[in-house]
This record gives sequence, structure tokens and C-alpha cells, in this order.
Amino acid sequence: MSKRKRPDSAAPAHGLTEHEKTIYDLIKSKQDMGIFSQDIRRETKLLPNMVTKSLKSLLAKNLIKEVQNVQHKGRKHYMASDFEPSAEITGGSWYHEGALDKTFIDLVRKTCLSYISSLKIATVEMIYDAIKRSKLFHVECSQEQIAEILRTLELDNQIVEFRSTGCGEFASIPILRVCYKIAKKPGSGKEPKVSPMASIPCGVCPRIGYCSPDGIINPITCEYYNKFLDF
Amino acid sequence: MTTQWGIKYAVHIISTHFGDLAARVCECLLRRGPLSKHNIVRFAETPLKQVHVCLLLLIQQNIVQAYIVEDTGGMDDVVKQTTQYMVLFDNIIHRTRFPKFMTVVAQELDKGCTELFQSLLQHGRLTVEKMIQIQESSYGEESVRENLAKLVHAHFVERCPAVEPLLVPPSEEELAAKKRSRSAKVAAEPDIMERVIDAAAPMESKRFLIIRDDITIDSEMADDGSANVGEKRKRSFLASNSELGIKEEVLWRANYEEFLHRFKHNACVEDVRQRVDDSAAIALSAMLESSRRMESKVKSRTSVPVPINAIYEEVMKDEAGRSMTLDDLREYLEHLKCDRGANDSYSIDLKSILELAQNEEVESIVLKRYGEDSHRIFRLLSKADHLLETSKISKMVFVDQKETPNILYKLWKDKYLHMEKVTVVGSQQCEFLLWKVNKSALWKNILDDMYHASLNVSLRVVHEMEQGSELLSLPPEKREGPLLVKLERLRNIKRVLEESLRKLDDSMMLFHDF
Ligand code: SF4
Repeated sequence: MSKRKRPDSAAPAHGLTEHEKTIYDLIKSKQDMGIFSQDIRRETKLLPNMVTKSLKSLLAKNLIKEVQNVQHKGRKHYMASDFEPSAEITGGSWYHEGALDKTFIDLVRKTCLSYISSLKIATVEMIYDAIKRSKLFHVECSQEQIAEILRTLELDNQIVEFRSTGCGEFASIPILRVCYKIAKKPGSGKEPKVSPMASIPCGVCPRIGYCSPDGIINPITCEYYNKFLDF
Repeated sequence: MTTQWGIKYAVHIISTHFGDLAARVCECLLRRGPLSKHNIVRFAETPLKQVHVCLLLLIQQNIVQAYIVEDTGGMDDVVKQTTQYMVLFDNIIHRTRFPKFMTVVAQELDKGCTELFQSLLQHGRLTVEKMIQIQESSYGEESVRENLAKLVHAHFVERCPAVEPLLVPPSEEELAAKKRSRSAKVAAEPDIMERVIDAAAPMESKRFLIIRDDITIDSEMADDGSANVGEKRKRSFLASNSELGIKEEVLWRANYEEFLHRFKHNACVEDVRQRVDDSAAIALSAMLESSRRMESKVKSRTSVPVPINAIYEEVMKDEAGRSMTLDDLREYLEHLKCDRGANDSYSIDLKSILELAQNEEVESIVLKRYGEDSHRIFRLLSKADHLLETSKISKMVFVDQKETPNILYKLWKDKYLHMEKVTVVGSQQCEFLLWKVNKSALWKNILDDMYHASLNVSLRVVHEMEQGSELLSLPPEKREGPLLVKLERLRNIKRVLEESLRKLDDSMMLFHDF
């Protein structure tokens, strides 16, 4: 998780030109949110080459730094060196250098799945505790983060959410607490239903809006059907 | 109001079953709503004589319902009566379900009943005499009567509605009550459809009542006090002579509603089997089986409450259910969130089961059509059921901040999502995009796509069969070698396409009829 450094109140702003000082003050006033180069130009009303020159100098003096903004990659975003970018800029704990850390997310997802599968039924706390004890990850995951991961697994129909009834298979879990089970998998005898619509070409056709019996795109000459019926 | 592709699909069905002329009359009625005979002539640009014949055929096949309206709006005080013709869209689509209806009847009743039922489907509506005539060569009169009795007893067959009832304008109180309960947005059309069907329907007490023609007690039965005032009032308005010259007589026809009840229950049971397990499915199935007779409308939200003992009796009829104790059954019913009411009776909210199934269908389409990330975003929004902001969505579903707007935009463009722009004016002006799934609008689009897809598949079947007509007409002795392979392939194509149509129709029922 990104932690904000205490900003140094005695800023080393001496020895700066007037323009550099204006720009530095502006950047610093934006704290951990930082600012875009265009916005600097707009707010200071300085000429573009002035801004570029001053930024270069401030960077060289290590007074400011360039940070990646996940929402606008490719745009130059500056922040005073005293600050660490906020979660809004970095994208939060699941982002690494401005990009979603897919490898790490996948690892946490797989780990959660394997715990739920071995525990049969589990709450967020149970999975969080198990992961913490295992010391599997170098970075520590908070319980909130595990909950986020579980939510995506549920959205992907990999696990199913229940509320404990406190009896039967839920006996070990306090009543009404949210808990998770592995969803039924294809091949386990009960395939999750694939919509009949999704099983035919028209159901997933990107051109359905343009297709009509007497149009240029029509069911008689349709290539998707030629493929579908190619046996 | 049916959708555009719904109309096109219906017209295609009529055109394949009854030809282009009937299809033209139907299309005219589907697009314009109820019309008088002369207006049909005008709008369908078809001579009166042909319109007359088409209407007779369509009424015989339960596709058109005639009714009389009274017009008192003239200068003089003379009440003018006109006959209007209304097309029943659902009954057109039901025609594609005849094989499904046949399967149900064949599973439950014997061959004689199944054959009689088939004749009823084919002819639309028949008198007892006509049935006897049709089946005479294989069955004697008594057997035919018995078969009909069995079909009626199972509610597979019902008495036909009146040919041309008078549509009484709603009373002041009814109008006021409607105004209070409904928003002004509700279209008037479903309302009139309901009123016409109600006006034409036989009295509930007679709907499944067979009266031997030789014991002429037609009116006695109706006036014996068992019919309520509304029913009596309705009866007195039935016209005796129709504009087309059809005489009122006791006719019988297939009762589509009964089959839809069964299909709806089946869909719920199968959903529970998949979501929970076989035993829960047995419990639900038993409960619905024992309540079916008491249910009125197919679209009702909850099942009718049934005492636990009656449900248990039904469970015992199923071999797999015999190991279930009464306590087990109770536990399953509680697990399914059934409502426990007076006298230890249980009912269940069928609508919520069906809604889950509908969600699943749409999600499955999104997954296949747009991929995993889109599916996750769609599910998030569908479950949240309120507006969410782009970057919040991105964080919640772990989809890259840059990619999320693209996915959302695509889903929005294809009408899967609803979008709202919010502008916040602070030190800078910021624009946020908020998204949600608007289920009622989306479900309508999905259903329209399903009609479109069904039409496409049907047209493709026709095309494939036309292409292979030469092969199909080969005499058996020539069907060998490569020709035989081609023939097999053609058969496979037909099988696959028809199977797709059949399953697609299950989905259409889920979104339209249940
Ligand atoms: S017939 Fe072909 S082009 Fe038309 S909607 Fe279906 S798949 Fe798409």
C-alpha cells in the first residue's frame, strides 16, 4: 500500500528562478495528487518552453518527480518529491508501475480458490488468516484486499456466496455471516447452463443489427452459419 | 406491444403454415392493432372476399379473436356496433411449440388421446361430432368421447372462447381504479387484449366441463348458482351470430395455458436442480405439481400455498423421493426460501427463481460475445442494480483503468448498459460517466434478438432443405456412397438447427411467457 511521506515543511526552494518557484509551489500544492504538464501551463499562464525548461531544472534538482497516472498513461504527470502518489494516481495496491499487476492478482486468486476448496466453505476472515499464516506472499495483503479478490471470483462464477444458516454444512460459521463455496464446475455432472442463444451464431453475432432476411447480410449467405454447420 | 422482430417472426410462421395471404392479414393486424374487416381490406390491400376467408381460417386456428364494440359517439343516439378483429401474437408463437405439447400429452395419456390431441392442434377447434368423425376409422364413438374426457380432465383441452363477444366498456369505477394503480405510460393495447380475452373466455365453471349433447343442459349448468354475477353478465352479452357467419356451438381446442404452466414449473425445477441439488428439485417439483391445478395465470409471481402433507404425498410418488422424510422435505423447502403460511402450507416465489435464470442467460450471452472482463463488469453492474462510476467499476473488477471505458462503451453501444453523464464544476470542470444495467429495457432487446435469431435459424432450415431437395427425393436404392454421406450431413444440419430452435424457444418462454 502506498504510504504518504510527511512533507518537509522547510522546502529547499531557495536558489530557484521565479518561474521555477511558481511551478514548484503549484506542484507541491497538489500534494499526493500531482498535476499534468498542460494543467501547469494553464494555471501558471507561462509559455510552454518556460514550463518545459523549469520542469527539467526542478527534476534535475530532485525537487519534483514524474509519476505514472493509471488513468492517463502517456501524459506527463508531476509531483513534489516529498509526496508518494495517491491510490487514485497509482491505481491502488493492485497496480505496479502504472499497470495492473495481473501476475500477482492471479496468484492471490489461485491461492484463495485453493483455500476455499480445501476448507469446503470459508469466510473472508478464514482465508485471510490462512494466507497470513502461510507467509506465501512477499507483500502483505489486507483482509479488505482478500475480500476484493473474492468478489471478483464470485463475479466470474468461480465461487458462490452464501449466508451461513449456522447449521448443517455451515455449522462452523456464525449464523448469517457471508461465506463462500466453490461453484459447480463443468464436467462435475452438472454443467452450468450455456444460454441457447449464446450457442448459436446469431446470439453472439456482432452484425445482428445489420442482418435481415432480404439484406446484404442475411441468414442464407451468412458465413457464421457456414462455419457452424460445417461438419 | 410486441417487438419488431417478434412481428417478423410471427409473420414468417403464418406464411409457412397458411400462406402469404393469411400472413399479410396477420401482419396488418400485428402492426396496426385491432381493425374492422373493412379496414383490413384497406390496409392489407386485399379484396374483401379473401380477407373474409383468411379471417375464418385464422379464427378457426385460434390466431384471431373477433369482438364487438359499441360506438355511441355519433350525433344521434343510435348505438352503432362494429366487429373488430384482434390478432393473438402469443398464439402464433405457440404454433412452433406443438411438438413440445405433443410430447407432454404422449407421456401422460395413451395413443388414442394423443392422436385426438394432434387432430385438435391441426384443426384448431372441433366439435365433438367432428372429432368422432375424424377418429371413426380407428376408434368407436364411445372411445373418442372417453379420450376427449381424459384430455379435458388433464386440462390439455378446453372449451373455445365465444366467437364474437361484446366488449363492454370499463365502468367508471374500473377506470378510476386503473388510473390509480397504473402510470399513464402503460400502453392501452395490452389492456384491451386482456379485456377481449376475458370477455370471450368461457365461464370458468364450464371451461373444463363436458356436457353430453343429448342432455341439453347448456344453460341450466350456467344458471345453477355456481356461476358468479360477472360470469352471468358476460354470458348474456355473447353474440349469437357473428359478422363472418360463424355459428356459436360447443367447440374444443388445445389449452396452451396448461402447457405453459408445466413448462414454467419445469424451468424452475431444473434451475433449482442445477443451483442446489436433485433432492431440492424433487421437493420443488412435488410442491408445484400439487399446486398446479389451483393456479390461474401463468405469469403469477408465487405458487399457490399447498399443505405440507399434500406435498409429501407427491414426493412419495417419485421413486427418488421415497428416501426423503417429512423433516427432510421441510428442510429443503426452508432452504428454497419457501413461505410457510397457515395450516402448515408452503408456497414459493417463482418469479425470483426465474429472474435468476434470466440473469444467467444474459450473462452467458455477454461472456460469449464480449469475453471475460466484460462479463465481470456486466455482472457487477447487474448485481449492483444502481449507477456506478467508471473508475470505481475498474477498481472493483480488476480491469485496467484504460481498458474499462472501452468495454463499458462497447456494451453501452450495443444497448447492454445505460449511461449517465455527470458534470461536477469545481476548480476545474470534471465529467464523470455513470453506468448501470437497465433490466427491463435490456430484457426486451434480448427477447427481440431471440425472435430475430429464431427467424434466421428457421430461414436457414428452409434454405438448407431446399438445397438438399434433390438428395432427399432420391429413391432408397440410390442412397449410397458419397450421396449417402451428403444425405447424412443434411440430416445432421436439420437436426442441429431444429434443436437450436427448440432450445431458443425455451429461452423465449423464459423472457416472455413465464
Ligand atoms: S444470420 Fe449470420 S449475420 Fe445474421 S445475425 Fe445470424 S450470425 Fe449474424
